Amino acid sequence: MFDINFARDSFSQILAATPLTLLITFGATIIGLLLAILVVIAREKKIPGLSQVLAVLVSFIRGTPILVQLYVVYYGLPQLLVLMKGWGWNTNPDGLPAIVIAFSAYGLNAMANLSESIRAAYHAVDPGQYEAALTVGMSPVKGITQIVIPQLTVNLIPNFTNIFLDLIKDTALVYNIGLVEIMGQANIISSIGFKYLETYTDALVIYIILCWIFARILRLIEARLRQRYVIAQ
Amino acid sequence: MLLEVKDLQKQFNGHQVLDGVDLQIHQGEVLVIIGPSGSGKTTLLRNLNFLEHADSGTMHFADQTIDLGKPSKQQVQWVRRHTAMVFQNYNLFKNKTAQQNIAEGLIYGHGVDAKTANQKAAQALKNLGLYDRRHYFPTQLSGGQQQRIGIARATVLKPEVVLFDEPTSALDPELVGTVLKDMQRLAENGQTMVVVTHQMWFARNVASRVAFFADGQIQEIGKPADIFDHPQKQRTKQFLNALADNY
Repeated sequence: MFDINFARDSFSQILAATPLTLLITFGATIIGLLLAILVVIAREKKIPGLSQVLAVLVSFIRGTPILVQLYVVYYGLPQLLVLMKGWGWNTNPDGLPAIVIAFSAYGLNAMANLSESIRAAYHAVDPGQYEAALTVGMSPVKGITQIVIPQLTVNLIPNFTNIFLDLIKDTALVYNIGLVEIMGQANIISSIGFKYLETYTDALVIYIILCWIFARILRLIEARLRQRYVIAQ
Repeated sequence: MLLEVKDLQKQFNGHQVLDGVDLQIHQGEVLVIIGPSGSGKTTLLRNLNFLEHADSGTMHFADQTIDLGKPSKQQVQWVRRHTAMVFQNYNLFKNKTAQQNIAEGLIYGHGVDAKTANQKAAQALKNLGLYDRRHYFPTQLSGGQQQRIGIARATVLKPEVVLFDEPTSALDPELVGTVLKDMQRLAENGQTMVVVTHQMWFARNVASRVAFFADGQIQEIGKPADIFDHPQKQRTKQFLNALADNY
């Protein structure tokens, strides 16, 4: 039978692991966003060679499970550091914290998904908007920052919300590389008390609450921006 | 002469869209370009402010001589700061209010301080009788209002030349008149204008000169009465006859 008392007592312990879930999610989002912007610039500017390489990389990341990517980075990154050490770089392959692996793997995953969403949001902005900016004397950079990016941002938020919520949920896999976040904590507590349903139900409730809160915040931001710009009514 | 273009060539995917265009624009004149759809009129206009880049040709504008095939970034920017454009689909900035639409070019394109720019934008809206709409976004305005603001956005910059790309084509017939009146007022104030349009009333009554454009070239250019009443070229007669048959 479902032990409600065990579930209640475990809840706060599992909840205590939430900051690590959020740290990985936010870290990966920031890393992913910065890399995605660079990828979008390279691909939209059609930089020879780089553009094609990035297209393949993005397609590769989007076409493989995050767990596989996590393992590839977990085993691959230290080897890369060994190689770099051989080339004379000052690296420490043995002292690589698991959180760095998590940031790298999830950051790359976020980069791939965000870069495609940003490109879609960019192409959804009428090219005439940018042209009009040029014809009133704005430089290309001003045209992008003043006119294109604010409109692109509004287009981006729905997809960004999906990617962000997927990241929160996907962090449940970092337990596989030794990081104890919500799912990791639930695993540990359930194996101590042999009460799996109770602890996983706790984890489920926490994930639902987290996703609901962030979905609500991002929806509010989107609604505010759409109202502000009166776009796409 | 204010602006002269010589031997302007432009190809799209092997198709010669502009085939050696020679064009002179005089200070204060209204040059109206008429011609069949798809003949390259819009492309010609877009080459004048580098929204499209020509394959070759030369532009003399004020005291500058520009190789249209290889303009420098500074030359492109200089031409854009001395011209302005009114688009067929208005292209008002969707994320800016009516007043901001007019002020942004002054602020970010011409280095005018925000306060002065906003005062000028507000005054422009008062002149149009649209001051009460200054905080409206483009989607809250009618097509006619958007285009009139589009014209104000262009002219507030005090450009040497304003390029109009079929400014009334997307408007309801009853809104066309208000936009044409704004343009006529500009012409009367001595604004140099190049207007691509299918509005023959405007071409006949407001233009200083009319150019008939077809097959990537200016076929015939002259005073409106000469072009409309005594066209010399067969292609011009054909076009005008086709127009007459439609009315």
